[in-house]
Amino acid sequence: MSESGDPKKFEFRDDSDGPDNDSRRAAIEYDASRQSSDSSSDISYKNMGWKGVSDDEPEEALEKSEPIPEEELDMTPMIDVTFLLLIFFMVTASFTLQQSFEQPPAKSDEPSTNVAETEEVEDDYIEVLIDQNNIYYITTRDVEEEEAPSQTEMRTRVLDAKNSSNATRLIITAHVDSLHRNLVAVWDTGLLAGLQMEIKTTEEDY
Amino acid sequence: MADDDQSGIPKPKRKKEDAELDMTAMIDVTFLLLAFFVVVSKMDPQKTIDLPVASVTFNVPEKNCVVMVATADSSTETFKVYKGSSMNEADLIPLQDPDLLEEEVGAYVEDEFTRNPTKEAVLIKGEGDVRTGLIEMIKRGVNLSELAKTRKIHVAVEEK
Repeated sequence: MSESGDPKKFEFRDDSDGPDNDSRRAAIEYDASRQSSDSSSDISYKNMGWKGVSDDEPEEALEKSEPIPEEELDMTPMIDVTFLLLIFFMVTASFTLQQSFEQPPAKSDEPSTNVAETEEVEDDYIEVLIDQNNIYYITTRDVEEEEAPSQTEMRTRVLDAKNSSNATRLIITAHVDSLHRNLVAVWDTGLLAGLQMEIKTTEEDY
Repeated sequence: MADDDQSGIPKPKRKKEDAELDMTAMIDVTFLLLAFFVVVSKMDPQKTIDLPVASVTFNVPEKNCVVMVATADSSTETFKVYKGSSMNEADLIPLQDPDLLEEEVGAYVEDEFTRNPTKEAVLIKGEGDVRTGLIEMIKRGVNLSELAKTRKIHVAVEEK
C-alpha cells in the first residue's frame, strides 16, 4: 500500500483516489495482472478488494453457444413485428386522406363589388348571401333576402326552397370578411341538396 | 434460511416459474403502445388546424395534392398562410400585400406541379375562422399557375 517503486501498486492506489478514468485504469490493471504470472502480485490485488476475474469464464461461455435447433425456433417475435408494421402502415395510410370539397377556381381577380349582376340569371336558383357579420340572407323564388341568423336555419330554409321549387343552382355570395366556416356550411348544404353552385365574393357591406 | 425453505415448499417452485416467464410478449406490447402513441402524437399538430365541419365530404389523398394552409388566431384577428402542410415559419407567406400573396401562391403551386406532375389537385386547408376573402385570394393565386388550371381545387373540411 505504500508508495513503492512498483508502478502497478501506485496505479491502483491512485485509482481509488480519483474517479476519473476509472474503467480505463482498471483495464490497464487487469491487463497487467494477466501478463504477470507472478502469484505475489495477484495476492496484493485480492488484499485490496479486487475479486479478480477468471480468464476461463468467457471462453467457456463461447464454447457453450451452440446453434439453436431448428424445431425450437420461435416464430412469435417475427409475427409480432409483422403485425406491428402492418398496424403502423394501416394507421399512416388512413391518416393521409383528407376530407374535402372540390370547389371551382376563383372567378376573377377582383372581388365583385356589384351584386346586381345576379339579376341576369333567369332560371330558378337560390341565392345565399353571407354578410360581414356572418348573417345569412336567402333569396328564393318566393322570398327576397330573408334573414337566417343561424346555420341550422339557413340549412332548413335552403333545403325547403329546393324542395318547393325546381331550383337547380345555388349562388353563394360571401362578404370577404365573413368566416370561411360559414361559406363551407352553405357549400355543404348545396351539396346535400344536389344543387350546382358558384361562389362570389363581395366587399360591399350590408 | 433452511427453515424458511422447508416451511414454504411451493415458494421456491414459484420462483423458478417466475424466472422462466417470457418477457418478450410484454416488451412487444409495450412497443406497440409506444408506436401507437408516437403516431397519435404526430397527428396532433395537424389536428390543431380547426377545419370547418361538413356532412357531405370526399376523401382526397393528401400526397396527391399541393397543400396550402391558412390559419387564424381569432383572439388577435391575425391570419397566416403557409406553403405546404408542415406549417413551418420558413413557409409563411407575407400577407401585407394581396398581390404579392397571390403571386407567391401561384409561384409555389406552379413550382410544385412542375416538380411533381403526378399531383392531381390543390388542397386548401383553411381554418374555420379564416376570412372568406383570404381563401378567395389563395384561390386566385392558384389560378395564376398555368399547371393548376387543368387541376382541381379542394377545400379541406372535417366530417361532422
